[in-house]
Amino acid sequence: MTSSELPRKEANVLKGHEGAVLAARFNSDGNYCLSCGKDRTIRLWNPHRGIHIKTYKSHGREVRDVHVTPDNSKLCSCGGDRQIFYWDVSTGRVIRKFRGHDGEVNAVKFNEYASVVVSAGYDRSLRAWDCRSHSTEPIQIIDSFLDTVMSVCLTKTEIIGGSVDGTVRTFDIRMGREISDDLGQPVNCISMSNDGNCILASCLDSSIRLLDRSTGELLQEYKGHACKSYKMDCCLSNSDAHVIGGSVDGSIFFWDLVDASVVSKFRAHSSVVTSVSYHPKDNCMITASVDGSVRVWKT
Amino acid sequence: MDSDEEDFVFFGTPIQREEEITNRRKKAAAEASGNLRALPPWKQEVRDEEGRRRFHGAFTGGFSAGYFNTVGTKEGWAPQSFTSSRKNRAEVKQQSIFSFLDEDEKTELEGALGTSSQFDTFGFTTAEYARKQADKEQKQRPSAIPGPVPDELVLPASESIGLKLLRKMGWRHGRAINDSHATSLYGARREARKAFLAFSSEDAKAPNPADEPVEEPESFTVQPADNDTRSSQSLPAFVCNPKQDLHGLGYDPFKHAPEFREKKRLDLSNDKQHGYRKAMSLKDSLFGSKSGKAAPGFGIGALEEYDAEDEDIYAAGYDFQETCMEEDEEPSSLSIESKQPSRLSIESKQKVVARDEGVLPGFKIASVSVCQLERFDPPVIPKDFVPHHKFPGPLETLKKLDVPSPPEVLPPDDCNLKLLIEGVAKLVARCGKLFEDLSRKKNQSNPLFSFLSGGNGHDYYERRLWEEHQKFGDQAKLLLDGKLSPSMQKMTAESRGKLLGEKPLERSSRETTSSSVASGEFQFQFNLSDTFQNSNSFSKLPEVAKPFKDDPAKQERFEQFLKEKYEGGLRSAGFTAASNMSEAVRAREKLDFEAVAEAIAKGKRGKESMVSTQRLDILASGMQFTSGGLEEVKDVHAEDLATKKKYPKREEFQWRPSPVLCKRFDLIDPFMGKPPPAPRMRSKIDSLLFIPDSVKGAKPEEDTVTNRDVPAPQTGAQMTIEDAAEKEIEIVAENVERPVDLYKAIFSDDSDDDVEDSNTKKVEDPEKKTEVATTTLNRLIAGDFLESLGKELGFEVPPDTPYSTNKVDVPRIETPNSDSGNPKLSSGTSLNPGNGTAQDIESPENESVPGWSVGYGSKHTVGLSENMSAKVNKDKFAEEDKKVKSPSSRKRNWSSSSSSEDERSRKHSKRHRYRSSDSYSDPSSDDREHYRSRSKGKERRSSKGKSSSSRKHSKHHKHRSRDSPSRDSPSRSHRGLERKHSEVRKEKSKRRN
Repeated sequence: MTSSELPRKEANVLKGHEGAVLAARFNSDGNYCLSCGKDRTIRLWNPHRGIHIKTYKSHGREVRDVHVTPDNSKLCSCGGDRQIFYWDVSTGRVIRKFRGHDGEVNAVKFNEYASVVVSAGYDRSLRAWDCRSHSTEPIQIIDSFLDTVMSVCLTKTEIIGGSVDGTVRTFDIRMGREISDDLGQPVNCISMSNDGNCILASCLDSSIRLLDRSTGELLQEYKGHACKSYKMDCCLSNSDAHVIGGSVDGSIFFWDLVDASVVSKFRAHSSVVTSVSYHPKDNCMITASVDGSVRVWKT
Repeated sequence: MDSDEEDFVFFGTPIQREEEITNRRKKAAAEASGNLRALPPWKQEVRDEEGRRRFHGAFTGGFSAGYFNTVGTKEGWAPQSFTSSRKNRAEVKQQSIFSFLDEDEKTELEGALGTSSQFDTFGFTTAEYARKQADKEQKQRPSAIPGPVPDELVLPASESIGLKLLRKMGWRHGRAINDSHATSLYGARREARKAFLAFSSEDAKAPNPADEPVEEPESFTVQPADNDTRSSQSLPAFVCNPKQDLHGLGYDPFKHAPEFREKKRLDLSNDKQHGYRKAMSLKDSLFGSKSGKAAPGFGIGALEEYDAEDEDIYAAGYDFQETCMEEDEEPSSLSIESKQPSRLSIESKQKVVARDEGVLPGFKIASVSVCQLERFDPPVIPKDFVPHHKFPGPLETLKKLDVPSPPEVLPPDDCNLKLLIEGVAKLVARCGKLFEDLSRKKNQSNPLFSFLSGGNGHDYYERRLWEEHQKFGDQAKLLLDGKLSPSMQKMTAESRGKLLGEKPLERSSRETTSSSVASGEFQFQFNLSDTFQNSNSFSKLPEVAKPFKDDPAKQERFEQFLKEKYEGGLRSAGFTAASNMSEAVRAREKLDFEAVAEAIAKGKRGKESMVSTQRLDILASGMQFTSGGLEEVKDVHAEDLATKKKYPKREEFQWRPSPVLCKRFDLIDPFMGKPPPAPRMRSKIDSLLFIPDSVKGAKPEEDTVTNRDVPAPQTGAQMTIEDAAEKEIEIVAENVERPVDLYKAIFSDDSDDDVEDSNTKKVEDPEKKTEVATTTLNRLIAGDFLESLGKELGFEVPPDTPYSTNKVDVPRIETPNSDSGNPKLSSGTSLNPGNGTAQDIESPENESVPGWSVGYGSKHTVGLSENMSAKVNKDKFAEEDKKVKSPSSRKRNWSSSSSSEDERSRKHSKRHRYRSSDSYSDPSSDDREHYRSRSKGKERRSSKGKSSSSRKHSKHHKHRSRDSPSRDSPSRSHRGLERKHSEVRKEKSKRRN
């Protein structure tokens, strides 16, 4: 993909959130997207047509993260009310609420089989919740972090968490090992490369670091944007050719994966870009911002 | 009983017995009759009619009420029976509230508050009540006119008490109270009024026989008819205007003060003036109240003009009556019209006035303000000020190199002073000038510190300071250089000399440094140690025995020795207080002391293993202090060394996923069938004590390995076969050892320094050497202390930067299994007893760490600790070491064991881990026995001198904990270690000079 194919044209603006949008996520096939924000709602959109489909309300405070199962049947969300909500997508009902975090919950993810929700909390822990049983107790608490866990990623066998203590910790369930990669800077957001070999970690020193997962080596650092205090997402493009990250001033940066040069940069929002999500197949990207809008970008 | 009570002292409240119940009854009766009223409230008790206490304390039964604390009764609850037969029809009972009340409640209810018609000012309630009454009566008697008509048509009238009174005084409806002007409209008004207030009309009275006063007012009426005509207007109008003020309902503040109303009105626009005047005149005539009986009402500003005259706000006895009349009288349209707008306008006017003047009426803004804001000019920046921040430390020192050197000065004769000066100079060089200022200020009165302010020894101090700066700058430079090309180290004369095995020339003043330092004189150290926290335990140990009872002086010295040994503070050079003793004697004595102390300690430990926890506490506190201070030093150093490569660093730990999680992830539980992991240890002591043996055992290995890596040129020659052999044995023993006596490990002295020192100086007789060693050590310790002091004072103490790395290449001589009759060895052994004690504890440490026996003991500890930390943190490092250096199966053990879960716990409490790792090199007493049996040469070692103190240990900790940056690049850290070693050496030699 050349830089000309980067999604830089605004295709749609998804408006509806009142207040900041904290996260925007494509679903697994990229046909829909979910956003959540400070207005305590989760919204389901068709980003390609710019249609608002459904609103999920139940959270008592801001919703910080949302994730949808691969079969699009269930949602999980989390936020300032310290609970993880497990939703039924079609009915919009809350199937279960998982309580147990002692603080705000920053991120949630389903595992591959949508049987477990893993949440990352302000209480310095990762917690895994069982969606199949009726228990609302966590089936696993990982509390080896020294500070807030900001972000979580799951693979088939691993749980990866990024924390403000500067570590990215990989918990390999198959091996029973915890691998801690200390970056020395608070980690804001982690995201996996599509080939699963690298971890992209956005740090609060305004740099995004690319780590080799097998060796823990620092492969590259991407700089130029400003990210000092907000939780701002970063992601890789679907071809893993570019690194995408937002900036505090509302602009979006595209870095070349290999040489870390800023390939493209444009002003996408009027305020902090909180979240970026890249379409799993197409050259399409959604960004969410504190300005309350979710924008869809295409080539 | 009474007599008994006199003999005993009773505490608390006695439990009441059955027989006292009668007392209680009496008491209750007395209380009821008021006898006990005099008791203060907190002494009174609430009792029921039986004299029982119903309220108890929470612990004595709480509240008891009702029937066994229920709402039930003795009889229980039975539903009402209902029987109805054809002959005997059950009446439908109307239930009232009384059918649900208890007797006592009914009595209460009877006396309950009710409405009284007497105070029913408006009469509505009374009227209603009377109507109802009439209604009832009417129902009871056969009515002439059937139907409800009369009720609606005819209402019973009732009067308020005020009206009744008035009437009795001869007043009649429609008349003013005083003689008032009649109006011609009176008749018509009266008709209207009748319709308006139905109950007050005389017609209404007719059907109501209860209305007696009707006649009387008629008869008593004094006023002529013409008065009637006046009255209606004289009375204030019925309040119809919307309430817009803050006065009470119906309250007219100007009622009694028409003048003020007039005044107000005068302020207003003139168009209403006429009407007001009229009203005023009426009022005047009505009340004749020109006295200014003003009652400024609620909401009239207290600051308004007329309030000076308010005399009797509530005086109006008329008020009540007047309000009655107000209601009774029909409104006069005229006054309504005039009043309403006027009030509004008054208020608005007031507002306008207030706004105009900006303050309350009657005040105006002062032309000159009393308080003025004081403004200060910003400070004047000197012209030569350059806004550039100088960082203390290497950069600064580099600059200072340019400073012309002060002339070389001979050190002062007083060696204490010299030591002091050197220490201070060193510290100042590291911390910057600020420290000098501070210490000068602090020690103004102290004559010892006169050199700071130009007194005795000032020249020397200057010189030393300059030297230190230079040295420091050198180090910094070298450090920088070393980073670029670590292999190309500058070779200084000293390092070269060391390489070649030269003995550095001694300065003329050297011999004085040895030990004549009297404890009392060395104020500085003592001051420092005062700031330290003393450990309590030393007082316990010496109590056990006074081994030198026959010789008081010696006993005293022994106690002093013990104190220093266990105190954990700075080792003052003063345990040799009797400076008249010769070096040899002193050394011998010290050895004795050590042996005795050890014996005592052992005996104690056998009995009380419990004390150990307490010691641990002490240890923890003490250690935290020291390591805290030292850590910062390390920090700086680490930052110096830290390059970008520091991050990211990878660590691996064991982690146990829950079986359910594995199941949900469709994975096989890696820990299937294994027992659940022990709960993670959180407390420091726990982690100290319970680190599994495997890890502990591994660590000493690390030490040995790393030490081996570091070759020591001078000592290499001295290394004997036996040493090597011993080392092996020790290593074996090490694994068995467990870290129990942490206290010892930290507060006991290291004998290595002495040994090493003596090794370097082979020439002198052993005892003397040990003395020298101790003094140098003391100096080092003092340096540390100064550092930590500096830390406490908030200075940044730059670390000793590596000076040269020349040691790296020096080959290490290991000759196992050569002949044992080495003369050097023998000298070494004699040395050890010279300054050593019989401490078993020490020996393992020495043995486990061969490097320590190789020259420069104190310095080595630094390097060693670094090695250790590197090991701890990085498995790789260990492996590399393995390759490079002497192969040891231990290492492998360690690396394998490192992946155990203990690692994790270690990680979680890094510091503790370090501590523990340190400590485990000291065997526990039980293990010691075992160890003894294993190693033959141990005895010799065990008698090694002990002069280093806890300080050294703390240094270990510091270094270890801070060494993390070197984790990721093992080779790098290795190099750094060696560099450090050499640097340390260099510094030592420098100090000596």
